[in-house]
Amino acid sequence: MKAPARPSFKARLRAFFRPPRTLSVTKTGRTYLVVTFGVGLGALNTGNNLLYLLLGLLLSMVVVSGVLSERCLRDLTVRRVGADAAFAREPFAYRWAVSRKAGHGFALTLSEDLSPLTGTGKLGHLPAGKEHIVRADLAAPHRGPVRLSGVRVTTTWPLGLFAKTRVFSLEGTLLVYPRRGYACKEPGPAERGPQGEAGSPRHLDGTGDMAGLRELAVNEDARRIHWLKSAAMGRLLKVEREREERRIWKLALETGLTGDALERRCEEVAAQAHQLLDAGNEVGLQLPERTLRPAAGASQERRILQALAWVGYEDADADSREAA
Amino acid sequence: MKRPLRLRLTLRDLAAGSAFGAMAVSGQLPLWALGVFFGALVLALCDVRLVARHARLSASALLIAAVLLGLQLTSGAMNAVVAACSFAGLIAAQRMLSAPDAAAEGQTHLTGLLMVAGGAALSGDMTYAMCLIAFGVLASLSLALGVVEAAVPDGEPVPVRAVMRPLSAGLAFAVAGAMAFFILFPRLNWAMVGPRSAPGLGAVSAAGYSNTVRLGGAGTIKGNPRVVLRATLTPDPDRDALDAYWVGRTYDTFDGMEWTNVVGARQTERQITLRPASDTLLHQRIELLPAYGARTLIALETPSRLGNAMAHTPTGTRSSPVQLQGGGEVRFTVTAPSYTYEAYSLPPDTKAGLAAGLVQAERDQLLAVPEHLDPRVSQLAARVLQGEKEPLAAARKLAAFLQKDYAYTLEQEGTPEDPLSDFLFVHKGGHCEHFATALTLMLRTQGIAARLATGFYGGTRVDGGYLVRAGDAHAWTHVLVPGRGFVTVDATPPSNRTSQGSVLLEKLLAFYEAVEARWRNSVVDYSFRDQFELASALVRPPRRPRGATENETPSRLPPARAWVTAAVVAFGVWRAGRFVSRWTRRAPALEATRFLDRVDALLQRAHVPRFEHESLEDLTTRLAREGHPLALALTPLTRRYLEARFGGRVLREGEAEHLLATLRRALDAEAARRAVKTAGQAGPTARAS
Repeated sequence: MKAPARPSFKARLRAFFRPPRTLSVTKTGRTYLVVTFGVGLGALNTGNNLLYLLLGLLLSMVVVSGVLSERCLRDLTVRRVGADAAFAREPFAYRWAVSRKAGHGFALTLSEDLSPLTGTGKLGHLPAGKEHIVRADLAAPHRGPVRLSGVRVTTTWPLGLFAKTRVFSLEGTLLVYPRRGYACKEPGPAERGPQGEAGSPRHLDGTGDMAGLRELAVNEDARRIHWLKSAAMGRLLKVEREREERRIWKLALETGLTGDALERRCEEVAAQAHQLLDAGNEVGLQLPERTLRPAAGASQERRILQALAWVGYEDADADSREAA
Repeated sequence: MKRPLRLRLTLRDLAAGSAFGAMAVSGQLPLWALGVFFGALVLALCDVRLVARHARLSASALLIAAVLLGLQLTSGAMNAVVAACSFAGLIAAQRMLSAPDAAAEGQTHLTGLLMVAGGAALSGDMTYAMCLIAFGVLASLSLALGVVEAAVPDGEPVPVRAVMRPLSAGLAFAVAGAMAFFILFPRLNWAMVGPRSAPGLGAVSAAGYSNTVRLGGAGTIKGNPRVVLRATLTPDPDRDALDAYWVGRTYDTFDGMEWTNVVGARQTERQITLRPASDTLLHQRIELLPAYGARTLIALETPSRLGNAMAHTPTGTRSSPVQLQGGGEVRFTVTAPSYTYEAYSLPPDTKAGLAAGLVQAERDQLLAVPEHLDPRVSQLAARVLQGEKEPLAAARKLAAFLQKDYAYTLEQEGTPEDPLSDFLFVHKGGHCEHFATALTLMLRTQGIAARLATGFYGGTRVDGGYLVRAGDAHAWTHVLVPGRGFVTVDATPPSNRTSQGSVLLEKLLAFYEAVEARWRNSVVDYSFRDQFELASALVRPPRRPRGATENETPSRLPPARAWVTAAVVAFGVWRAGRFVSRWTRRAPALEATRFLDRVDALLQRAHVPRFEHESLEDLTTRLAREGHPLALALTPLTRRYLEARFGGRVLREGEAEHLLATLRRALDAEAARRAVKTAGQAGPTARAS
């Protein structure tokens, strides 16, 4: 049993000692600084006042760049909107809501701080007094709960010479579902459902939910005609009903699996559950420590994915579970 | 790949154009480089990316250009700075015409920056500053749009207007910051000398001196308003129009067509003395500009000493010895686009005496006339003079005659065989060379020694100095007066002696020159001395006004500028203090918060029942209301926390520990009390009865 993916000690130590803003030099910025240094040397060496003037302009641009980028990151509010569903090792849509009280924000790049999630969301312009949703395609390297400590907002505004970053401390947990890959194994026989050659008599009695009406084709069963509607329309209309061929499967995750074997099995079960539920069946799940009763629909698939995501992370605290 | 914003590319290309302009204004770049770059710029602005599909071909062309430039460099036909700048221009052109990707973008800006730096080495003109600012603004706008464009999702418009406003304000601050840096950054040298060697864009040597003066040429130079000479005079004549003769050289031999000298080059020294010095010499600090285009030193009539010359070559400034030539001409021995030197002249109306360097051969030539001189010249002179033999009076009489009866014109039809006769008897009109030649020859025919002098006439006051234009080029006559030496007599009508160019153009150029002079003084030649003077000027008492009487006692108060400086410095200190105090004031608040955290931790560990989001003061109030024993310990602690956090009373050293120890004891006592109580309720106690 392992705890949710926490940032490494080194990363946490770095975060502890991190100043309120971090600054990194871009590739363009490096070239700019080298040229500025060269111009400075040239000015000192030759005493050419025009080079001093140029040096002054170059250095002023650096200062102005710092001031403008700081104004860009100040008065900023960020909250997580989150993801509908995050699957391991495949891109998923993730959202943050950004707003500011005054001024304008430009060229903002948002990402999750100290987390294994990769990918960034970008926002070109953020005017004051309006909340913008920034969307990003993130990717998580593995399933399970991912502890989120903060949101990094980076800007290269105004000249792209430096990337200034501000980290908004926002605790949270993102539950990453196992990837629904290709299921190598069949899910096995259904626990309950139509068996043998004959279909269920329930399917022939026309008791399923009505899906729609269409004109009766040649050689079709006249017993499916909706007489009232046919009379109203003046032609024979056939009632189409949803299939009620719902079978019940109970998938199981074997005990004793660890490491890659556990991951593969989780992905397989997730894929099987997805296929079965997509076909309209009821699926239940037997885990080493809990059991999910069979049910159908998207909510059941979510429950199964959540249960699979937590496998191996059962000792996570209650807060993390709640947040996830 | 999304299509780049057209505006951004246009701004980038214009920025590169400005950077190239910073070099091109020096006039030192080869014409083919100018042509290639500006052609590429026009194509790029029309969004024609010619080399986008021929990257290798264009790279090969660049390589060939580099080799050719290298060959020119090694052969000495081009200096290294010019070659490097030309190559940077070619790279920028190639990048502008290539596919507009991020790499091309960055490289275009980088070459732009290098070109601007190269321009600083090539040119000292004010136009450089304009190009520099234009480059800074355009490149910044382009970069900023690029940064925002990269963050805008595909299909969404780039917020150009929103970008412009904050960026414009930032750029204004950057320019102001650059000026502040420039003024305040301490210079390591006392005398800073900026580049002066640039001949300027489209510059043509205007006043070119040669070894001869040939009559018959059209006087096109009189319409040229370009400035060839700047001079600072000591003592300052303080006149708006100097109207003085600036002599370059004289000619003693006339063959009917052209003037020459009989004597060639003589001594070479650092300084040449032409006449004995006196105590009242007029000192001139003269700067010959690239438009001058000759090596002859110019000085106010009558020069006494010339030298201390510095030649401003493209490779740097160096001392140039001067060489005495025939006709009193002094020449620089080093060829350069521009020079600075010192000259001393005798004050006007001083007995000059004969120049020490005047050799016998030259003296003999002062009465020489051409073999085939038209006899009518002599007859005309005799008729005008009517027996006048005193040289100066005769010369003035002849000059008055010529000014009265002859017209000044710059129009010349063809080249006559005998220009002097043509002037005197046919056209009866000509320019200064005709008037001066006629006067000189007419004097000689009457046995009066005279020679032709050439140089400039005029001097426009600009910013404490005087400017002389190419159009001020002039010729006049030196008459040898016994006991006085050579005296200047000018036969040209006075209104036609100075520049004959457009008045409006001259005014515009005078304004430009005034600004340019300020630029030179304030920027190009700005030095540690200027910084020192600027600092001392801020606190120095004001000078006594000119009209003030001696009895007026100056105010003991510092000048207004000192008050303003003090106010600005005080404001800066106050702002800095406020900034610092924000951090120092936060320290006690942080300490108090840490103290609160420790109290909360203790209470939590002791399992003191607490409502959700209940603050410490609420908890203390509640416990006091309930008569809880912990309230006794918590009340002073809470009050002290609130004082430290919001009341500005910082926790003394060890005080927090003391308060926490009290709380800990109270919590222990409470825990013990609860344990006893729990033990008392744990099980029924049997009592024997």
